Amino acid sequence: MLVQSRTKRRKLVIGLVAAATLLVNALPAHAMNLYKQDGVTSSTITLGITSPLTGAAAPGYNKVPYAMQAYFNYVNDNGGVNGRKIKLIIKDDAYNPVLAKSVTNDLVLQNKVLAIVGSLGTAENEATTRFINDHRIPRLFVNTGYSGFADASKYPTTYTVLPSYVMEAKVMGQYLQENFAGKSLAIIYQDDDFGADALKGFAIAGTKFVAKIPYASGSQADPTVVGKWISGLAQAKPDVTIMFGVSSATAAALGGAYKAGFKTQWLLGSVGGDGTTIATVAGPTALGLLYGAIGASFLPAPSDSTDPYVAQFQAINAQYNAGVAFDNNVLQGMNTAMLTVEALRAAGSKLTRASLLKAIAKSGSTFASAGFAPLGYSATSHVGYNGYWFGTYGPTGAIKPVGGSYTLYTTDSGSGAVVKTVSKRPALPTKGLPNN
Amino acid sequence: MFIDTLLIGISSGAIYSLMALSLVLVWRSTRIVNFAQSGQAVFSTYIGYEIAVRAHDYWISLPLAIIFGALLGSLVDLLFMRPLLRRVKDGPIAEIAPVIATLGLLGLLQSLLGLIWGNAFLQYASPLSAKGFTFGSHTVPFSPQNLFIVLASCAVLVIFGFIFKYTNLGLALRAASFQPEIAQLAGVRVSRVRNIGWAFAGATGALAGAVITPTATLSPNSLDLLFVSGFIAAVIGGLDSLVGAVVGGLVLGIGFSFILQYIAGSVTFLVGFIILMVVLLIRPRGIFGRDAGRHA
Amino acid sequence: MRSRRFSPRQSALLLFALGIALLAASRVVDELRTYQGAQVAVYVIAIASIVLLTGYSGQISLGHGAIMALGGYGAALSFTLWNFPFALAILFGTLVGSVGGFILGVAAARLSGPYLAGSTLALAVGLPTLADQFHILGGEQGLNFDIGDPPHWMQKLGGDNFTQYKWFFWITTSFALVVIWAITNLLHSSYGRNWKAGRNNAVAAGLAGINISQGKILAFTVSSGLASLSGALFGLLLGLVTPTAFPLSLSFAIVTGAVLAGVGSLTGSILGGVVLVAIPELSGALATHLGGSQKMTANLPGLLMSSLLIVVVLFMPHGVRIGKFGRQQQANK
Repeated sequence: MLVQSRTKRRKLVIGLVAAATLLVNALPAHAMNLYKQDGVTSSTITLGITSPLTGAAAPGYNKVPYAMQAYFNYVNDNGGVNGRKIKLIIKDDAYNPVLAKSVTNDLVLQNKVLAIVGSLGTAENEATTRFINDHRIPRLFVNTGYSGFADASKYPTTYTVLPSYVMEAKVMGQYLQENFAGKSLAIIYQDDDFGADALKGFAIAGTKFVAKIPYASGSQADPTVVGKWISGLAQAKPDVTIMFGVSSATAAALGGAYKAGFKTQWLLGSVGGDGTTIATVAGPTALGLLYGAIGASFLPAPSDSTDPYVAQFQAINAQYNAGVAFDNNVLQGMNTAMLTVEALRAAGSKLTRASLLKAIAKSGSTFASAGFAPLGYSATSHVGYNGYWFGTYGPTGAIKPVGGSYTLYTTDSGSGAVVKTVSKRPALPTKGLPNN
Repeated sequence: MFIDTLLIGISSGAIYSLMALSLVLVWRSTRIVNFAQSGQAVFSTYIGYEIAVRAHDYWISLPLAIIFGALLGSLVDLLFMRPLLRRVKDGPIAEIAPVIATLGLLGLLQSLLGLIWGNAFLQYASPLSAKGFTFGSHTVPFSPQNLFIVLASCAVLVIFGFIFKYTNLGLALRAASFQPEIAQLAGVRVSRVRNIGWAFAGATGALAGAVITPTATLSPNSLDLLFVSGFIAAVIGGLDSLVGAVVGGLVLGIGFSFILQYIAGSVTFLVGFIILMVVLLIRPRGIFGRDAGRHA
Repeated sequence: MRSRRFSPRQSALLLFALGIALLAASRVVDELRTYQGAQVAVYVIAIASIVLLTGYSGQISLGHGAIMALGGYGAALSFTLWNFPFALAILFGTLVGSVGGFILGVAAARLSGPYLAGSTLALAVGLPTLADQFHILGGEQGLNFDIGDPPHWMQKLGGDNFTQYKWFFWITTSFALVVIWAITNLLHSSYGRNWKAGRNNAVAAGLAGINISQGKILAFTVSSGLASLSGALFGLLLGLVTPTAFPLSLSFAIVTGAVLAGVGSLTGSILGGVVLVAIPELSGALATHLGGSQKMTANLPGLLMSSLLIVVVLFMPHGVRIGKFGRQQQANK
């Protein structure tokens, strides 16, 4: 009996295997076109973004996607893009490359977005590159200044918008040479490609430091880590300290310096120089700590209501993003959204992933935007803005250009010279609604 | 530099001591390690934060947070641990079930906090200055808030020391911990006394959260690492010794501070793990522990 | 196990058939499900490592995320630095984790439940950040582990659109099936019986001449080997390994999966793996359905997962599948 049932089972198993093997070859492979057209219907365009909404890096950045959404809603209420309404799907990646990868999977495979816009973070975008490239997903106006992303051969569907960190460091080096020649310098930087890019730029500019303090992304939330930055600085006694990290790290550094009674001239990178964010992280007293610091930016000051772009975005923010303080994050989010709308318009009514990419290559350099530096898009270049102006922070944390007017320092990510120019940019389209 | 590092170590050591104390109190009463302790502490801290926001006064919020912590500790014992321990008395998972259950509770508390207050970083400010004391031209990294932290943990130790040594409650707590059956026969209401142990632990954890948070930020996960440090400190001290918890906390705090200053922040917890292993394998009773019940 | 239903050869054939069926399925399901299937396979191996450790040897670890990191880093390092072929890199990662697990196991064998849990928790926090300390490990940014496109013969066999994710699915499920088969056999061997004897009654087992301590060390080593294998596959799936890829929550998640599976059931680990992948998606759908705010979207998965864990521990302490393990308990009394 036992033997018999064993034989039966064995027969059954072998039968199963045989059947399954046959099945595999009999099945038609599921028709799946990798480059198919998702995300566009006759009435909608679906876009996606990954950004930190929780975690150590979230303060400030968590406002960017919602500012973009507010601008899209404004455009939708004014007719949309070629009759289509824009829908933005927002996913939290907690500034974690692993999560970024999994939510990008979801955006593309589940939500079936047309493109990813404004995805934030160097390591986060690196982690999704393989998948983005394989599926030919347009990844537009990434919210990172890592110079590598402008390499169109490695990142064929990626367009950068921020000037690269190499450019920023080169420009800072030039500014320091002009204004702080002979002074001792120190730098705190994030210990990944973000910081490495900055060090590369400073090396090109020939800037020398008495202290270089790296920090692991996220560790700024630990007060003892911050204490160590400051004790390191206190030992080196630099005249000028450059803070090249995210805003929560800037807040931590300013707070730590205050606690330890350490004084220096701060020079803040554009990524980590937003007053509102710093106040959110370190409390309102931090704004006082910002007073006198020097900062770099490529967008107009968010407090400068005389700037037509800023005034328009402030109005949209008041109506579509009520209750959210207008700061550099909101400004940047709306600016990115405006560029996105221009790109979608330029791609025409037969909108596809390919036509979208082609449109930016063709006419991206003429898009109207708040940035003072020109956009460098062309068939061969995916570089966005290429320069910065410098400003000082007032007692309320608002930044004002040095000397009263925006003086632009432009350069490239290579060994090219730093050039000082007066800014020129296309005029604001009527009511902030692109008409390209 | 040496003095500065030492001061930072004492201040963080005091906080580790508080967390270690709360773990020891639960261990003494129920013989389990409460992995939800940091979750209870951070929950109480959120309550303190909410009160501080509404009443605009840290000094009102602090005692209320501690009382809430005590209540929460007591409730966790009554509604959660007792049913669990009744169900899982023996068998292969008797040792493991409380670990899993308290981990589940930790996750539950933290996700509830996220649902109520969100995951953003909040500021729970104390009126005490965060700026270090200045001696001559040198500002040390030790502020009035840090001093308050150290004083608060000293006070807790003195209070508990007094209760355990000189009161009937203390005697009952000790009896229930070491000889529950005999204590029961002697008329001690063991389960009531155990519950008081949970309440004390909850209060101590709440105090730790409410005094450390003004020097950092508040989020549902903001005390996670404190739990790990507190556990290491408690084990160094012997897991059933109150004095041991405080000494363990200080040793660990100062040790971590020197590692951070002279080696690197990224190795602190690995060193903590190695210390833990060395203590467990060489002197399993810890520095002040009495029994050797940690071997399998 | 009460009775052996299949001989090793039969179960091998059965698993092979299951494998073929899964691979057939990969031809018809879409890419997202394929990727999730690969995730399930990775979790199944990780959960099996806990089932083996806890269910059969009575030890607990809250630090298996760190062991996974050992496997992931071992694989990625040998892949990028020494140009190992990826299959060899995965085995190398497994070896690294097993050696680490052996060292840990020697210490672990002397510790009882809560002490072991707390110590391994410290390891879970302490080990992954170590990568920041060594430049060769890529710091915060981690190491690349992109194995590239599937080989041509695979593309031919697999059909026109044999994507990288399908390729991952094939690799991970094959590993998972082989692992389950191998572990089932191991548990039926004298090693497995000795572990259970030591777990159920250490004194009696000791008297019967079973070296409990040695058995525990072996169990911890094998379990770590499995965990590091899943870590290596996890890195392959992500295309990179970073310290943040192996957070504390990963260690908790696999323990949760093992508890949901019923800590004594290997086949239950498949259920555990499915639950771990399904919960975030289900809660995402639920949050949207409830008109979810960002708070809800971010916290619902954690809420569901921990509630489930508590319910299982409180009401079904011997696992969802009361089956063999629970009944055996009754019989022991």
